[in-house]
Amino acid sequence: MKTDFHILTSWSLPGLITIGTLLLFMIQSTHANTIEDLQAIIPGQVGRWSAQTDDRVFDEKTIFSYIDGAAEVYRAYNFKRCLSRRYTTLNGPAIILDVFEMGSSEDAYGVFTHDLDGVKVAVGQDGRLRPGWLSFWRACYFVSIYMEEETAAAQQAVMELGRLAADNITGNSTTPEIIDMLPTVGLQNDTIRYLHHFIVLNYHYYLSDENILNISAETDAALAEYQIKKQSARMLLVKYPTAEIAVESRASFLKHYLPDADKKGMVLLENNKWAAINIHEKLLVIVLEADSRRLAEQLLDNVQ
Amino acid sequence: MNDKKHVVTRRDFLRSGSCAVMGSLFGLPLVGRAATQTTQKSRVVLIRDQKASDGYGALNERAVVEMLDEAVTVLLGTADPASAWRRIAKPDDIVGIKSNVWHHLPTPQELENAIVARLVEVGVDGQNISVDDRGVDRNPVFEESTVLINIRPMRTHHWSGLGTLLKNYIMFVPQPWMYHGNACERLGAIWQKPHIRNKTRLNILVMLTPLFHGVGPHHFSRSYTWPYAGLIVSADPVAADATGARIIQVKRNIHFGEDRPISPRPLHIEAADKKFGLGSSHPDRIELIKLGWDKNSFI
Repeated sequence: MKTDFHILTSWSLPGLITIGTLLLFMIQSTHANTIEDLQAIIPGQVGRWSAQTDDRVFDEKTIFSYIDGAAEVYRAYNFKRCLSRRYTTLNGPAIILDVFEMGSSEDAYGVFTHDLDGVKVAVGQDGRLRPGWLSFWRACYFVSIYMEEETAAAQQAVMELGRLAADNITGNSTTPEIIDMLPTVGLQNDTIRYLHHFIVLNYHYYLSDENILNISAETDAALAEYQIKKQSARMLLVKYPTAEIAVESRASFLKHYLPDADKKGMVLLENNKWAAINIHEKLLVIVLEADSRRLAEQLLDNVQ
Repeated sequence: MNDKKHVVTRRDFLRSGSCAVMGSLFGLPLVGRAATQTTQKSRVVLIRDQKASDGYGALNERAVVEMLDEAVTVLLGTADPASAWRRIAKPDDIVGIKSNVWHHLPTPQELENAIVARLVEVGVDGQNISVDDRGVDRNPVFEESTVLINIRPMRTHHWSGLGTLLKNYIMFVPQPWMYHGNACERLGAIWQKPHIRNKTRLNILVMLTPLFHGVGPHHFSRSYTWPYAGLIVSADPVAADATGARIIQVKRNIHFGEDRPISPRPLHIEAADKKFGLGSSHPDRIELIKLGWDKNSFI
């Protein structure tokens, strides 16, 4: 008869090692590394480009001295800190690596969705490459790699640096729950924006000079375009901290934007597009523009 | 939100049939004018010379300085540049030239030097002239200034829609970020501060290689600049900015092949007109004088 000790030693020792390894991996993969970790890990040499010695770290106040008013976009996504490193080479443009630590993985995703132009590239959770600039997100980090002039060699170095940086970022990468509430039929994935600031909404879709939807740091919003057969639409979901604020915001939207809404909250706009609004407890469902009433209704019905 | 106040929304533009120009400044009828507004038109001089610049980073100093002289002369209706500059500053004036050092697209040093030279030529003591941007709030010349000259390149901006002459004065306040609310709508308030008010004699919006679009934290790619080779000159910063905004809007639409409004909407230009009474944003109240090269002027 085997003793408990025998059982443990006869089959569990390798198992324990395996479990231990898995646990270590899980700890590593779920625990995001810090800006300081990344500063130490991200290579100082990429191809012909070498990092200058003076890395800089900016916080939510000093970031203005670095990128002026553009800092407001990052602050709108709970910006914490930014590590900035400059790589230089002889006879080539400088490359600037900026690692933005955001308040959460969801915020890193959100700020990434602010600029979705460009070619999709497999760097981090999702990445885009356009003239002079690579961006991607992973865990709570949004990473920007900018080249001061566009050359083929610089672009190759930027891609290599991006992959090296992404490989060294650990931690969970989760998208906001509200993204999963968008109806999937006809959803154009490359148009999804996640935000919680009304100026950011206005940047992507000008709605009003004022914050008529009460969008704040406590609200989550998702903006997306749809294409169903030959018809298109644009949809906005806003989730509030309480049902009361959702009700107030619905009233404000109807008053300022859709005062002529029918009983179903629908309006034919002056550009012959349909707009509509519905509410599900804390969630406002808004069709900003749809090519037909039927499409607007379909989109409203597809959000529960 | 004030319930009685009319809130401008996208519907207002749709109703007026001007959705295509939502990002610009002439889509809506003027409402709620500031008490200080007059019916007098603001004169704006747009001057262009194809030789001034053939692309980002390239500048023909001689052509640009000649453009400045001609524009100032026409703006002030004088016989020659010297007479015009004598109306801008007198020998006993202390002159601060508010420049812009944003390293991707700074105010060209050649223009700064030309302004200083013209001021010295009309008798202003060189020690009483200073060119500055980030240090204006602690620069003794600016602190004692009796005249301000405002000069900067036009560009798009992540949070205010456009980097404008109006926005250039944000460095005159100790905490610029306090004016970032609602897409920097209240920038006009800075111009009403006692150390600023009524000092600005000349505004020069540099349109040599404007930036019409930007992405990312550095908001710059030379592929979004073009050799417009122009200067916009006016005593009215609002009118100059509004004119520049119209050009940027047209360029964006052409480049992207669709209506691509300036985003966010540059509310601060309209607000400087309607709320702060600093000038005219509507083309109906702007006397635009175009000089020089006219091809693709977009206005």
